[in-house]
Amino acid sequence: MKKIKINLTINGKKITLKVNPQERLIDTLRDRLKLTGTKEGCSIGECGACTVILNGKAVASCLVFTAQIDGSKILTVEGLEVGGKLDPLQQAFLDHHAVQCGFCTPGMLMSAKALLLKNPHPTREEIKTALEGNLCRCTGYEQIIEAIESVTKD
Amino acid sequence: MYNYDFLTALKIEDALYYLDRLEKVKILAGGTDLIVNIHKKSSRLPHFDYLLDISNIEELKFIALKKQFLEIGSLITHTQLIEDTLIAKYFPILKFAAQTIGSPQIRNRGTIGGNIVNASPAADLLPPLIALKARVELVSPGGKRELTLTEFLSGPYQTKLQENELLTTIKIPLLNEGYLANFQKIGRRKSLAIARLSLALVTRIDSENIFQDSRIVPGSATPYPQSFPVTEGAVNGKRTTDLNLEEIGEIIAKEMISITGKRWSTPYKSKALSALVIRALKEFISKAGTK
Repeated sequence: MKKIKINLTINGKKITLKVNPQERLIDTLRDRLKLTGTKEGCSIGECGACTVILNGKAVASCLVFTAQIDGSKILTVEGLEVGGKLDPLQQAFLDHHAVQCGFCTPGMLMSAKALLLKNPHPTREEIKTALEGNLCRCTGYEQIIEAIESVTKD
Repeated sequence: MYNYDFLTALKIEDALYYLDRLEKVKILAGGTDLIVNIHKKSSRLPHFDYLLDISNIEELKFIALKKQFLEIGSLITHTQLIEDTLIAKYFPILKFAAQTIGSPQIRNRGTIGGNIVNASPAADLLPPLIALKARVELVSPGGKRELTLTEFLSGPYQTKLQENELLTTIKIPLLNEGYLANFQKIGRRKSLAIARLSLALVTRIDSENIFQDSRIVPGSATPYPQSFPVTEGAVNGKRTTDLNLEEIGEIIAKEMISITGKRWSTPYKSKALSALVIRALKEFISKAGTK
């Protein structure tokens, strides 16, 4: 079982790794790089807690082998804050009480961020579609949608 | 069992080289099914020694209009099907079906080729692709061959893909004027739903408002998606104003039972399938009426 050499840019930082064939992106992020903001929920791509942005698109990091993404750019929740300043989405989540237990929050933020990168002024329906792969079991969807809407209306 | 080597192919010829020279190679594309099965050490996954990642083969990421066909590269993702202007223009039914798949995270990774080769009884793209008479191009070191999807699918999670073959292209014959297409799906909830039942219906309504060349393909109703010729025959030749919808609903339920036998889900699925075909036909009839 040979290891595979991979170059990645994670939150703007270039790194080179040797990964196992079974190593998923979530394993690389959490276990190897200690970027534990990304959460592992269901491990089967249904809960969205492990969502990160891969080359501009939201993906479930439990459904990607790191060996598949040589040369890719990844943005995780740790990369949202820039120069000690929260991303407007993060601030909006705080202001709108969109965080309860917090487990789904990193995934929600990354799905919302992926949407806004592509479409800065989405409709409420488009926001809901962007979040359809993210489960919140505290059932705080309304506040989450309101938080995202508040950023898009500027 | 999970002691495998990881291989990367960046070109079709690299993939064919590995498939030709190595034994027990499993092909990895979007990974939305396979990675879950590998991670869970699923017993359904046959033993393999090599995992061949084709997800970065750029040659397989295209949608192109040819003379008689729209051609789709096997690595086109569900998101790309939804956003592509050619798909929206020629086969909006594929856009609708792709929109019902999983979630943005799944649609951004999962591919049309993976959906076909995985051959799940609930695969969302199979009923519309079969109804559109799509063909698959399979390439091997020895050359290429083309099969209809009906020929290609051989059972639940089973296809006629040979060990040294790669699915490269999906070819969909363009529809002439007068054709209509409709896709219906029932899931337990709206997002991330595996189809409990779906239905693709393609038909032509001629100048005298008569149904011609109907193709009716339910999903999750039979061991693997297939055409329902008896129901198609019952619709063909009928005028839109004369079609007895209740009767068609009964015929499609009977045809399903003739394939599957009576199963635990039959009382639900026969009623639900009747409702789906009636709903799809009603939408066609109202469209024909407004012409």
